[in-house]
Amino acid sequence: MTGAVSGRVDIRSGTGRIATGPVPGVLLILAAWEAGGRLLTEAFVLAAPSEVAAYLVQEWALMLRALGATLGNAAAGFAIGNLAAVALAGIALIWPRAERVVTGLALFVFCLPLVATGPILRVFFGPGAGPQIALAALAVYYTTLIPLLVGLRAAPDSWFDLVHSYGRGRLAALVHVRAMAALPYLFAGLQIAAPAAFLGAMVGEFTGAERGMGVLTIRAIRALDVEMTWALATVATAVSILAYLAIGSLARRILLEAPPVILAAPPAAGGHRSAAWVDGMLVLAVALGLWAGAIRVFDLNPFFAKGPGDVFTALVLAPDAADTRAAIGEALAETAVFLLPGYLAGLVAGAGLAVLLVLVPAVAGIAMPLAIALRSVPIVTTAPLVVLLLGRGATGTITLVAVMVFFPTFVACLQGLRQAPGQIMAVLDSYAAGPLTRLVRVRIPAMLPAFFASARMAVPASILAVTVVEWLATGSGIGSLMALSASLSDYDMLWSAVVLVAALSALGYGAVGWAERRVLARYAPEQIA
Amino acid sequence: MAPEDTTPPPKVVCTALAKTFGGGTEAVRPIDLTFAAGRTTALVGPSGCGKSTLLRMIAGLEPPSAGTIEIGGAPPAETRRRAGLSMAFQDPSLLPWRSVRGNIELALRLARCRVAQSEIEQLIALVGLDGFADTRPAELSGGMRQRAAMARALATRPGLLLLDEPFGAVDELTRSQLAQDLPRIWQARGTTTILVTHSVSEAVCLSDRVIVLSARPAEIVDDIRIDLDRPRLETTARSDAAALLIDRVFAALASGMAAARPPVAAQ
Ligand SMILES: Nc1ncnc2c1ncn2[C@@H]1O[C@H](COP(=O)(O)OP(=O)(O)OP(=O)(O)O)[C@@H](O)[C@H]1O
Ligand SMILES: [Mg+2]
Repeated sequence: MTGAVSGRVDIRSGTGRIATGPVPGVLLILAAWEAGGRLLTEAFVLAAPSEVAAYLVQEWALMLRALGATLGNAAAGFAIGNLAAVALAGIALIWPRAERVVTGLALFVFCLPLVATGPILRVFFGPGAGPQIALAALAVYYTTLIPLLVGLRAAPDSWFDLVHSYGRGRLAALVHVRAMAALPYLFAGLQIAAPAAFLGAMVGEFTGAERGMGVLTIRAIRALDVEMTWALATVATAVSILAYLAIGSLARRILLEAPPVILAAPPAAGGHRSAAWVDGMLVLAVALGLWAGAIRVFDLNPFFAKGPGDVFTALVLAPDAADTRAAIGEALAETAVFLLPGYLAGLVAGAGLAVLLVLVPAVAGIAMPLAIALRSVPIVTTAPLVVLLLGRGATGTITLVAVMVFFPTFVACLQGLRQAPGQIMAVLDSYAAGPLTRLVRVRIPAMLPAFFASARMAVPASILAVTVVEWLATGSGIGSLMALSASLSDYDMLWSAVVLVAALSALGYGAVGWAERRVLARYAPEQIA
Repeated sequence: MAPEDTTPPPKVVCTALAKTFGGGTEAVRPIDLTFAAGRTTALVGPSGCGKSTLLRMIAGLEPPSAGTIEIGGAPPAETRRRAGLSMAFQDPSLLPWRSVRGNIELALRLARCRVAQSEIEQLIALVGLDGFADTRPAELSGGMRQRAAMARALATRPGLLLLDEPFGAVDELTRSQLAQDLPRIWQARGTTTILVTHSVSEAVCLSDRVIVLSARPAEIVDDIRIDLDRPRLETTARSDAAALLIDRVFAALASGMAAARPPVAAQ
């Protein structure tokens, strides 16, 4: 039904002649960082690597305890989230008609702003590790589910014919063919999920945990402790990259090759428009039912557990509904000013740099492995740094959103550009086409699906980034409104904001998917079939 | 290779068998065909005429739109359940994460069939892949993959062997070598074999009977008994008797193509 948008990156040989690995890039960054740190000592924004190292040596016990707590929560969330993803994929497999509803519902939950679900979960769970684990699970299940669904359909029919020709049924096909064919995709999902779980756990800790990296981060920001802020971000980055590489090497050991660089499943091809509407309404109905049902079943306190009816009342029927709507609308408008430029800048920079690098392959050899590694960095954990560096104004927030969008887009586009079909390139070569013609005629169309897939996934990611910065640093926009409502126990406002943000996020995802189908139908029709 | 532990070769009877695909493509017109037990029958016909479809229906992988199939008196599903048939597909369908040996072992496992390791080695050598037993398909050429798929099909000692252009991507020389070696196995075992091929000389030299099909939808144009002596050697293909038969097949193919041009011209 839908083809996988995937490719493989082989760091050892895939980069061609200049396979230098990430070492030169890392050294370059370290040198620039150290120089910057030395120059800016007076400004209290940047700690040089040497200062970070000194801090880590001095405070290792504190850091280690915090890291242990966060890692434990992240690991628990990682396990739960991935099990949920496998279970959901299983449902979609056993009952294919449910797939659209499963993925639609999963997307909607993925679009819930962690900034608001964190405080709500904190009220539900009380003190302890509950919210951290839940947020870590929420951060990972979607990034695993989507590649897994692609992978489970990645086997050609003839492999199933083989199994059936020996008189065996769906179970044998699942064990011997489907599961094996899906493994590389599962690993690709897990690889992205590992750092995401760490990020989820940290955001959970922002909501008032006792221990962990997130707790220290909040403390460092409040105290304007530059060294501590940088040290925490460095540790978070290092842990994420290590987790990413560890899963990658495990995959290579098991699969004897690097897992595919997965983006996301292409949206279901047009098909019956009415069916899509029916599915959409079904997703909405199921979501509302689960929401109301959960409150009923767990018998949650109506003071903070607002149901769909309460939110409708708060937004439409209540005497102060107009005020609520105005407050949310104003906050959303403030956020949009940061979000849209950052999102677009990230997309343009990612795709643009990828195109540039293809024209200068020597640089690509250095940039690609570095970008793949940096893609795994939970950018949001570096939010305090960006704000330190660029201030609490528009520049800092926009930059953070742009960076959040940049890395996945860049890696995906570079991958797409590389994937240009060799045979078509050979045909163009035979006409002695120049590099520019090849770029425009073959490579960019080949890049489009990857570009759009990452543009779609970047919608919830950029909303996460912008709301976290607003919450932690700038104190404006919807992120701040949600944090404020949580601390004021204005749960009508909080739930209304959550619902609207999730709905807008899902709509944005859908809008990019719509644009994707139109553009692909025109420039790369073979990609949607 | 002891013939006594293989199931006795079945007779395959197709009665009024027809297939029209969902989209309205009529691939096979109602057709009556009987494949004698233990014999090799070749199916030749123009590309897209429905040969693969016919074979897949016999294997029970494609439900017929009309008509019935009996393999040794039982429906295909029953035969498959007993692992009584195996099929070499037009595209080799090797699982890429398993080596040549691994692919063969998987087939044996699926067919719940136990075979000595030495027999697997023998088969691999027979298809000319010695030294490649532990190689994965991605590192094999197209023809090597087809030969691996062939070894896999033979490994489970099926009573009914369905071969869909098993040597399509193999070079002429290797092809004629395989065409001499492999039939010895299935003939020694007395396997009922249905072979789809585009090579007319291969069809004549390998089989006891050649059925020529018209362009889509497939109908029988000619049904030719091949009574060349066995074992057939390289020289067989160049004998006068073979040349006559080959001419006859070509003539039938040509008339099948011509007949298909006006919609329903065949009698
Ligand atoms: N799954 C399918 N759905 C619809 N039409 C099909 C399907 N499989 C085959 N066909 C059609 O049925 C006809 C016969 O196909 P088939 O594969 O049996 O041909 P063939 O004789 O094996 O050709 P070739 O020699 O090229 O392999 C073709 O016109 C093809 O388009
Ligand atoms: Mg065919």
